[in-house]
Amino acid sequence: MVFKDHRDFFELLDKEGELVRIVREVDWDLEVGAIGRRVYERQGPCLLFEKIKDYPKGFRISNGTTGTWARVALAMGLPKNASVREIYRVYEERLKVKIPPRIVKKEAAPCKENIMTGDDVDLFKFPSPMIHDGDGGRYIGTWDIVVSKDPDRHWTNWGMYRFMVHTKNWLTGWPQTTSQLALMFKERYLPKNQPMPVAIVLGADPISHIMATAPIGIQESEVEYVGGIRGEPVELVPCETIDLLVPAHAEIVIEGELLPDKIAPDGPFGEYPGYRSGTMCEGVAVKVKAVTYRSAPIVTMISLGVPPDDASIAASLTAAVSMKNGLLRRGVPVTEVYVPPEGVTHLIVVGVKKGGADIARKVLDYFTARRVMTNKHIVVDEDVDVFNMAEVLHAFATKCHPGRGIAYEWYEGRANSLTPFYSPEERKRLKGVSVVFDSTWPPEWPKDIVPVKASFRTIYSQETQERVIMNWEKYGLK
Amino acid sequence: MGKEWQTFVRKFDDMKDGELDLFIKDLTPGPTKYNTRHVRAKVAKSTDAQSDGDLLWIRSESGMTALEPCSIKILEELPEWVPGRPWENVLDIMEKINKGKPKVR
Repeated sequence: MVFKDHRDFFELLDKEGELVRIVREVDWDLEVGAIGRRVYERQGPCLLFEKIKDYPKGFRISNGTTGTWARVALAMGLPKNASVREIYRVYEERLKVKIPPRIVKKEAAPCKENIMTGDDVDLFKFPSPMIHDGDGGRYIGTWDIVVSKDPDRHWTNWGMYRFMVHTKNWLTGWPQTTSQLALMFKERYLPKNQPMPVAIVLGADPISHIMATAPIGIQESEVEYVGGIRGEPVELVPCETIDLLVPAHAEIVIEGELLPDKIAPDGPFGEYPGYRSGTMCEGVAVKVKAVTYRSAPIVTMISLGVPPDDASIAASLTAAVSMKNGLLRRGVPVTEVYVPPEGVTHLIVVGVKKGGADIARKVLDYFTARRVMTNKHIVVDEDVDVFNMAEVLHAFATKCHPGRGIAYEWYEGRANSLTPFYSPEERKRLKGVSVVFDSTWPPEWPKDIVPVKASFRTIYSQETQERVIMNWEKYGLK
Repeated sequence: MGKEWQTFVRKFDDMKDGELDLFIKDLTPGPTKYNTRHVRAKVAKSTDAQSDGDLLWIRSESGMTALEPCSIKILEELPEWVPGRPWENVLDIMEKINKGKPKVR
């Protein structure tokens, strides 16, 4: 099943028991954020808040659209009990096919049902939530898609960046300085002192939001991959006031210009690593030129914080496949890569056919070569199930030599300033450090001295295993 | 009773007395709560020292609230922004702007 928008996906979630519609009036000021957060921490359902204090009937907020693996599976048309390995495999397979978007007329675009432009723009018309107590403001852009275009390369980028309501017609936000949006702006617009058109899209189809988190290369367009994953093109429609195309079935589209010579405060904000860690007042300002929206619009929120939530789950999927391909290009004999949501893309597990110090070094070199969003990398032999963190932890505890098995690398100008353990000075300089934990057996060890793992599958002969399995119930065991 | 406002500083000690340019958020309940205003204002760290002002709550970069509010009297509305390049530190720019202002009037 292909979902055109949030609404038809919600219909399926409803049928699958994965959606709770909250009809009791709730306050956009902290209450929806707190409910959403508690539900994430119980790995509960997607939420649709249908009556928001201070707002007319029909103006809604959602939380946790694809905040569990079950809902990611459903968004991809898989059974909700699909394993994480299966979701990764299908995602990787479908990435091989790109389907260009289809441009539709304004009349066929639900996101044009209501249009406000110029002086009529009023962001306070929408129930933007105050998500966490102590945030710098009301974040309308959390589970969003931020569209920007490189005019020279004719490349449109989709990313996911936070945006806060500053005033009725200004937003402030914080795309990281190492993000593709920032690089595009610094290369193409800032030297000419030109504003950069941006569109902040809320409530497109679920795969579009997931793919907005994907670390896809420069000059590659996420929307074509979305088409491939869905098996159907994404329908796009031109914006009203800027030269950008946006998902036609989105709930809300905010059109604006990121200005090269004006700034205003953004943040702080409780971010995806699970902390509010002091990133504020170093972002961008966007003058809003228009807002188009569906009737009874849904503000798509994620009450970000400790994992799992939509961000940590989506990044687990989209980052892992990208990392696997990057490592293979570097000559690392990768079997699988897993980005555990609990590690919030700071911790990566890499399975390899052959390990050892040289391979571990290659892994570290790959992860520190450019923009560095990760910092801890565990390399394990292929007999370890990378998706089973108990097995990974066992391998790390027993095979990583504290003296010889750990290598680290410092760098400056490209670290992740949201990483909580960096000092304020390190964050300012984007100075970071990454480490690799070689949790593989040294390849130079003769086979006859390699310790044998004492598990059922590895320390007994095939014959013994089969006998035990065959007689299992006869032992009185289930 | 006057209105209540909120502003962010890196550390609570960064908040100064006197006439300052600052960004403040309106804490009046309702749909426009947290709207930002950029103002020139007279700020007193002690509400006793400026008893006819509005309340200004101070939050740090981690979002913590100072135990005691300041007092604020808005003198002038300013544009929604300050001149600067994206990713420049807004608070550094504000500090430079405020350095030229008298400490107390």
